[in-house]
Amino acid sequence: MGEKTDVWQGTLALMVLKTLESMGPQHGYGIARRIEQTSGDQLQLNYGTLYPQLLKLEQEGYIASDWGVSENNRRARFYRLTRAGRNQLKKETRDWEQATAILARFLSPKEPA
Amino acid sequence: MRSLRALFLKISGMFSRRRRDWEMEHEFQAHLQMQIDDNIRSGMNAEEARREALLKTGGLEAARENYREQGGLPFLETLSQDVRYGARMLRKNPGFTFVAVLTLALGIGANTAIFSVVNAVLLAKLPVAEPDRLVALWETESSPGNFPFAAPDYLDWQAQNQTLESSVLYRGTRPINGSHNGESQSVMAMATQATYFSVLGVKAQIGRTFLPGEDQAANRHVAVLSYGFWLKSFAGRQDALNQTLELDNEKYSVIGVLPEWFRFPLRAEVFIPLDMNEKALPPRGTHGYLAMARLKKGVSSQQAQADLATIAARLEKQFPNSNNKVSAVVVPLAEQLVGNNRRKLLLLLAAVGAVLLLACANVANLLLAKATGRQKEMSLRAVLGASRRRVVRQLLTESVMLSLSGGLIGLAAGVWLVKMMEASQQLPIPRHNAIQIDQTVLLFTFLLSVVVGVVFGLAPAFQAAKAELGEELKSTAQTVVNASRFTRLLRDGLVVAELSVSLVLLVVAGLLLHSFVRMNRTDLGVDPQNVMTGLLILPDAKYPTQEARGRFCDRLLQDVHGLPGVQSAALSTEIPPEGGWNGSIEVPSDKDPAHASQLVEYNYVSPGYFKTMGIPLKRGAIFTPADMERAAAINLKLVELYKQNPALTSVPPELTVSTIINSTMARMYWPNQEAVGKTFKGAGLSLQVVGIVGDVKQFGARSLPTPQAYFPLPLNQDSSSFGAILTVKSTGSPESVVAGVRGRLRDIDGSLAFFDPRTMDTVIAQNIQDASLETWMFGSLALLALVLASVGLYSVLAYLVSQRTREIGIRMALGAQPGHVLKLIMKHALALTTLGIVLGVLATLLATRLMEGMLFGVTQHDPLTFFGVVGVLTAVALVACYVPARRAARVDPLVALRYE
Repeated sequence: MGEKTDVWQGTLALMVLKTLESMGPQHGYGIARRIEQTSGDQLQLNYGTLYPQLLKLEQEGYIASDWGVSENNRRARFYRLTRAGRNQLKKETRDWEQATAILARFLSPKEPA
Repeated sequence: MRSLRALFLKISGMFSRRRRDWEMEHEFQAHLQMQIDDNIRSGMNAEEARREALLKTGGLEAARENYREQGGLPFLETLSQDVRYGARMLRKNPGFTFVAVLTLALGIGANTAIFSVVNAVLLAKLPVAEPDRLVALWETESSPGNFPFAAPDYLDWQAQNQTLESSVLYRGTRPINGSHNGESQSVMAMATQATYFSVLGVKAQIGRTFLPGEDQAANRHVAVLSYGFWLKSFAGRQDALNQTLELDNEKYSVIGVLPEWFRFPLRAEVFIPLDMNEKALPPRGTHGYLAMARLKKGVSSQQAQADLATIAARLEKQFPNSNNKVSAVVVPLAEQLVGNNRRKLLLLLAAVGAVLLLACANVANLLLAKATGRQKEMSLRAVLGASRRRVVRQLLTESVMLSLSGGLIGLAAGVWLVKMMEASQQLPIPRHNAIQIDQTVLLFTFLLSVVVGVVFGLAPAFQAAKAELGEELKSTAQTVVNASRFTRLLRDGLVVAELSVSLVLLVVAGLLLHSFVRMNRTDLGVDPQNVMTGLLILPDAKYPTQEARGRFCDRLLQDVHGLPGVQSAALSTEIPPEGGWNGSIEVPSDKDPAHASQLVEYNYVSPGYFKTMGIPLKRGAIFTPADMERAAAINLKLVELYKQNPALTSVPPELTVSTIINSTMARMYWPNQEAVGKTFKGAGLSLQVVGIVGDVKQFGARSLPTPQAYFPLPLNQDSSSFGAILTVKSTGSPESVVAGVRGRLRDIDGSLAFFDPRTMDTVIAQNIQDASLETWMFGSLALLALVLASVGLYSVLAYLVSQRTREIGIRMALGAQPGHVLKLIMKHALALTTLGIVLGVLATLLATRLMEGMLFGVTQHDPLTFFGVVGVLTAVALVACYVPARRAARVDPLVALRYE
């Protein structure tokens, strides 16, 4: 497994958690569509990437799932954020902002005096 | 915490796989449907919508695989699959499995046993508090080496040092006459300063250990018992405390019992306080005490040695006569206890390691033969999609299963061997830690088994991984697949290695055997036939004076002499080959500086000693009864003189006593002169040589003859706790004498024990017991190695023949004679054997360097042993080759051609 995937999976977890926070309980397909839309269709998610990630988050206790019925009457598994997931989202958001801020300082053209 | 929770869910996921798969399928299905629904809503027709959706959601099979991996532990799942498959394969070949497991069990069992000894002796620490701070203290003298303590020196060191937290002076463990509940027995007792247990940091299990001040005359009648002695003599009763134990006719009150694990020193049964009053201790210059100390925190043994050497230098200035060249030596206690056992144990560990390597090589050979037959199976698996890594893993799982089974049986054998060793009193190694299978040994055996499995499994696994995909499947006509060149080389290489390793072991064992035979044949200078020995100790309470001791000795010798079948009897303070006292002498005419540090062995004997031991008189005469009486009288006067002046240096010439010396001493101090009649000074006496006797190897077969002086026994009878060894030569069996001696002893004094009766033959055998044990151990390992190597050679050749049956058949059909075929196979075998022996000899020349000091009378390159071993190995190898070669020569061409 290359480094690239690790980074990608790390950010995917954050995207999933954020999506669930803003949309409330949602099935896998809905999460995938939302992430794709938010990214301006720059990202594409297939089963092979999304579902193992959902399973992992569930194993870690950040999300929980129940079977339910979708808006157009299909049986689907709905995922929702747990309390631990909410905390994790806050933490990861903070970490991410910090990381991007540091990186931005490196990449910004002007050196502060 | 989160990852732990995930791991737990993954493990439980392994057991709910079916349900998880069902949910996954439904979820994926729903996802696809929703995508299709969306596509239709955006205007596609049903067909188009489905195709787009499938494209977008990606490969279903890969997704399933990823999902399952996340859901469970794929590594474990594959492992359990491999284990199940492996077990099936091993069950299918019971013969192979049996041989392989047994071979490995042998190797692993031997390693477990030897490692448990190494663990107890070299690795495990002394089971006391902070053992790293414990050190043994020694003094030096004018002669090289470490010497026991002079008690007054110790007292000064104890008072003036800056580096020791605490220290203790004690005497070597020795037998004394004990009696409890009216029963007399010999007791191994250790007399010590009261600090012994506090230095070691050991508390009593029942009662207490010594209090400060109990090592003074008034308080010293207290005893601490070892756990074993408590069980033996007090039946392990709690009320043993405050009971009375009589030791050498003095009453001691039991104050405590030590824990079961405590065994330092190993043989001590009873600990009693030493009288530490300076007046009760012998003067400076008499070196007879041992000492131990606990270093202050952060102090190294070198620092302590420097500190104590400063004190010793001061004492040397203050007492130039007694303390000439007396300095300090500090040795970490662990090092002291291991002594020269380290190298021997490591050599033994190397030898069992080599045997295990041989076992591995044999099993690897078997596996290689089997793997060649399994190539088709491996190819099939590869065609069906198994990756190379997966195939290697499968094969390694099988071999580790084999080695773990071998390890389990080996562990059982190891437990048995360890029990035997622990029970054996004769194992010549320090035994302050119990030899046992503890956690470390268990871990060692487990890791060894796994490593062994991987080592011998790598070769066949590697070979299988090289198999060309599909290549083997095509050759369906051929039932026996020819081994690749690589495999053949590997198998030949393994056999060559086996032969050379077993050659090394055989030479090591051969050298030990040869040296043992030499030792056994060495003339000690005595005639041990029909001689019985035993120790007598006269307690001071009942025999307080030289006269009382003298009377006892005379009466005993007279009575024993009167026993039926007794030819002669004697008392002496030493017997060969168990060493003894020594000291330096002063010969007026001798100016050789090389003799300045020469020590002369002292032995105080009754006149019958030389006849009883069969030591020949070379010149002059043996002591007469008159010599003995005169010596007794002179000694009384001398004791008086020394009492008046402890620093007395010259003895009046009229107090000169007769002495007998050995040939070596006569040659050394009076070369080309008549030594009889010459005088010299030694042991605080003025001495005149009256006779010269033959040399005796006082320290056993391995020692060189040393100068030796025999003094009349009464000269030693002023010493407290006088002890002497009774030797009796009889016409009949020496054992029959013991009952007679005990009977006479009872008549004289019922409270005295006849300690440790042994025949002289036993005494001599015990002296070389460590050598006999080493010979036995290395010998059996070498034999095992020989068997393993010849089995390896045999199996390689037998397999070669079975592979070449068809070829041989064709050759014979074309007119080759059986002789040619025999030659063909033997040529291969001889090449392997020769190469193995050449490499083995080279390795042996390196390995035997480690044996320095273990050999007697043979060099490390003893040609007889080398040629003998090469001969034996060649002969065994030829027999192992001949059987398959003959089978090849008898191949019936018709049968061989139909063999396919």
